[in-house]
Order: sequence, then structure tokens, then C-alpha cells
Amino acid sequence: MERIPILKMGEFLLVTIQVDMHDRLALQLQDDLTNRISQTGAKGVLIDISALDIVDSFIGRMLANISLMSRVLDAATVVVGMQPAVAITLVELGLTLPGIRTALNVEKGMELLRAYAAGVASGGGDGGANVGADGEGADGGPVR
Amino acid sequence: MSAEEPRAAEEIALLTVEVQGERDVVLARQRARQVAELLGFDRQDQARVATAVSEITRNAWEYAGGGRVTFLQAGGALRVRVADDGPGIPHLQDVLDGQYASPTGAGRGIIGARRLVDRTRFDTAPGRGLTVELEKDLPAPTAAPDPAAVAAGLTRRAPAGSPLEEVQHQNQELLRVLDALNTHQAELDQLNRELSDTNRGVLALYAELDEKATELQRASETKSRFLSHMSHEFRTPLHSILGLARLLLDRADGPLTPEQEKQVLFIHRSASALAETVNDLLDTAKIEAGKLTVHAQPFTAAEMFRSLRGVFRPLLVADPVTGVAPVDLVFEDAAAALLPPLHTDEGKVIQILRNLISNALKFTERGEVRVGAVLAEGEDTLRFAVRDTGLGIAPEDRTRIFEEFVQVEGPDPQRRARGTGLGLPLSRRLARLLGGDIAVESEEGVGSTFTLTLPRVYTPPPSSGSGGSDAGLR
Repeated sequence: MERIPILKMGEFLLVTIQVDMHDRLALQLQDDLTNRISQTGAKGVLIDISALDIVDSFIGRMLANISLMSRVLDAATVVVGMQPAVAITLVELGLTLPGIRTALNVEKGMELLRAYAAGVASGGGDGGANVGADGEGADGGPVR
Repeated sequence: MSAEEPRAAEEIALLTVEVQGERDVVLARQRARQVAELLGFDRQDQARVATAVSEITRNAWEYAGGGRVTFLQAGGALRVRVADDGPGIPHLQDVLDGQYASPTGAGRGIIGARRLVDRTRFDTAPGRGLTVELEKDLPAPTAAPDPAAVAAGLTRRAPAGSPLEEVQHQNQELLRVLDALNTHQAELDQLNRELSDTNRGVLALYAELDEKATELQRASETKSRFLSHMSHEFRTPLHSILGLARLLLDRADGPLTPEQEKQVLFIHRSASALAETVNDLLDTAKIEAGKLTVHAQPFTAAEMFRSLRGVFRPLLVADPVTGVAPVDLVFEDAAAALLPPLHTDEGKVIQILRNLISNALKFTERGEVRVGAVLAEGEDTLRFAVRDTGLGIAPEDRTRIFEEFVQVEGPDPQRRARGTGLGLPLSRRLARLLGGDIAVESEEGVGSTFTLTLPRVYTPPPSSGSGGSDAGLR
């Protein structure tokens, strides 16, 4: 059974999607990730989709679901490395991806997560929102 | 049917992807991206086309359980046709208007896909499946690449997901083969059962045959034993008769009148004939019992002819009127003198030839009986021929004469010596015992030729250790 690997880095979980996922694999990732968050008590999840050429409505929805679920489990989710073409397509597709935080690259994503964790630690409630660039609107250079 | 644009005239198929599983959705969108790339779309449009194909193909998989994605080059546009055999969309217009909320919560794929391409076309009816065509204009329609080159490029970029697909394909193949094998196995089992039934029958038959063979052998042995015993018992009184007749003829008991002498002579001759027959019978019995041994010794054909001549001279009766014998017995001595010596059982060869010659004389009223010998087949085989100018033998009788107790009727039974019908069969048995054989050629009314073929040097058969040179048994 193929799976997308989930790495633990300190208090964060790191997922790098390297393959074009079929739907079941995406659902599997969603399950695995929520399980890992509850097991490890991770404070943040970083999902790197820089290798994805295509994000259609299903995968987009899956990303949104992960984001929502992890927030319920008290972890922030940042999606990083979205290709500009993918971002544009998602918008054209009419997908709004509510609740997904995005960042240009892994480094910025980690910053975002740390800021969020610090905000939570300092009792700042829902702080630390969109610090990085919002991938959905960005048409900056390719991030690979 | 809802067509937003008239269909372009000609279309050229570039690639078809069969959607039979979830992974084929991934394959379809990857291929879509490759097609778009090869047709010159930029990265953004590649993503649009691939995403649109992904949405529509996923619908086909989810709602219809599969379908077929065909990529076509139609005029200045890329056309992707996704066809399925599912239930179709009963409320197509609602979906297109964004009024319809899918129970699965997704269902916005069609609308989204429409936004990503230039034209869409839907063809559906309940129970007839759904066909969606997506069209996107080529970035440079005038410089559209050669479809063949595009197809070739697609072939080169064989899908990354193909190993799994291949394995699945092979799996299905394997299942089919297994199925066929099972059927064959069942057939084989059936055949095996039939065969083993037949086998049992055959075994039973074999057992029966064995039993019969044993019985036959026992009967044959009994017959041989009976023959040899009887012959022995016959011989003793016969020798008494012969001895007493000889005594009478030698006047040991006083003179005989001419009439008495004639009668005693008849007695002697008949007893001799009977003794001969009994000896033949005995020999037959011995050969059958495998008790007759060969004792080979060197001798020449010329010597043998001399002794044969001596045996037959008294039998050539001169005609009382002309004083000349009607039948001439000729031995080709000159030719025989040139032959190399033989090394085999002389007694048995003489016995055979005597038999042949007396047969020939029996059936020849006038003319001659000619006995010759020649070398044949590489100097290792001698061929003796006994040629007569007698009645000849009818073709249908030529094999029968070698069967025991069979006699061919002559035209004048009164004149025929009564035989037992053992002579020729015995001769043939003896010839075979020596490694040779007897054959006959004949023309009715002209004459017959009996040929004895014999190896010049007798070699005992390899199986039996006997067949040696001593233990005379005559």
C-alpha cells in the first residue's frame, strides 16, 4: 500500500507530496495526517506541493479539509510551494480553499508555523494568520 | 444534447486512455498535460487542460464506474472527449447553471472545467451515458504540430503509472489463464478417469490372455511330449519288423518262394516308410520342445551330393518296357565342386534335401529333377535348388504345403505315396533351426523349384547357450 510519508520535525509535521496523487491516496493522507497530529500533539503541519503540476478540485478540497481538521486538533496548516499555474487554475476552477494558509516556500512556511505556535503559546488566540505570501493570489516566480 | 459550438470538420485521434480505475484518472490528467505540452500550450494552459480533464474524468469514474478519454486534434483546437456508459445526467442544465448541489458535496467539477477550456459540449440521455467534449484552441493554430509527431511524442512519454497498470493487466491475464487451466484440468481429470477405467478393463483382459497363453503352452507341451513318447514307442516294434523282414530276406530262416520274397520286400519297404514318418514326427516334436541340437561340422556340397545320389539310386525305378527311368535325377556336381566348404549340421541339411528331392520325385512323372547349389549374398550364404518338371503347385497351395499334416492332392491318387504331410514343414523347421529358410516357386504344369537358403557357417542363436556341436540326437 503506497503512502505519502509524514515527517516529524520538532513540534511540526512535514509532508512533501512528490507524486501525482490519485483520490484514494489523497484520502489516505488526510487520515494519516489527522492521526499523526493527535498522536504527536504537533502544533503545525507543513504541506509542500511544489512538485504538483495539477491540483484539481478534489485535491484542493482535500487540502482544505486537512486544514480544517488540523485546526480542530489545534494545529495550523501551511501549504507551500504551489506553482503559479496551479494557483491560477484553482482560482479559475472556482475553488476558494477556505482556511488554507499558504507560503511561497518551505522556509517561509516554517516561519509562519513558528509564529503561529508562539502566538498560541502566548495566549494570542487566533493570531499568526497570513504572514507569508498568499499563494492563491501570488503570481510570483516559480518556486521549486 | 446541448452543443455550444458546431463540431469541427476533421479530427485526428492522438491518444486514448481507458478509465478502469482510480489511478487512470491520474493517468488521464498526466496524459492531458503531455498532450497540451506537445501541442504548444504554455504551462498555465497545460495546467488548465489537465485540471479540466481531471475533473471530467473523475466524474466518469465516480458516477459511471469508468469510461474512455480520447485526445483529438480538431482543426485549430485540442479536443478531449470523455465518454462513459453510466446513467447519464438527468439534470444537466441545473448542473450547468450551478443550481445543482451534488450529494457528495463536490459536483462543481463540470462548472469548473467549463471555465478552464474554451468550449464544452455535453451529450447525454438517461441510460445512454454521458459524453463530454472539452475544446481548447491551440496557441498557434496555423503552426499546429503534425499529429503524427504528437502521437509519437506521447508514445515516447509512456505513462509513469504504467508498471502498476501493466501488473494489473497481467494479473487479469493470469486469472484468465488460470481459469482456462482449471477447465483443462477438469477435462484432464475426466479423461484420466476414463483412461483408468479402460486400463482396468485392459488389465482384466491381459490377465485372461495370460491365462489362455499358459493353457496353450501347457497343451502344446503335452502334445509334444505325447508325440515324442509315442514315436519312441512306435520305433521299437518298427525296428523289430524291419529286422525280422531283413532276416527273412537274407534267407536266415530258409529259402523263400519268389512270391514270399516279394511280400516280405513289401513289408520291409512299408515298415521303412513308417519308420521314416515316425522319425519325422519325432524330429518335429523335438524341435517344438526345443530339444533338437545342431552339431556343426565342416563338409562340402560335393560330398553331400554324392551321398544323396547313393540314397536315391535304388528309388529310380526303370520302366519295365523301355528299361529307362522316366525321371532323371541330376546333381550338378561340377558347380558344387567349386563351392567353399560348409560348417553346419550335415545330417540336417541332408535330411532337408532328401525330403525336397523325394517330394520332387513324387510329383514328377517324367522329365528330370535337378539339384544344384550356388553361392549367394557375399559368399556367406549357399542356395540349394531342387528343380523338377512335375505338376507344379497352385498358388493358393504354396503356403499351405508348409503347414503340418497338409497334403496337396495329386491327379492320380493311386500312384501317390502316402505321406504324413510332415516332410515340408519339418524341412522348413530344420532349415530355420540352421539359420536359413525354404522358399518355393512354381508354375502349374511346368514344374516347381524349392530353394533352401542356408548360411555357410552355422552360428548358434545368441539367446540359447546350447546349439553346441555334440550331443547327437538322431
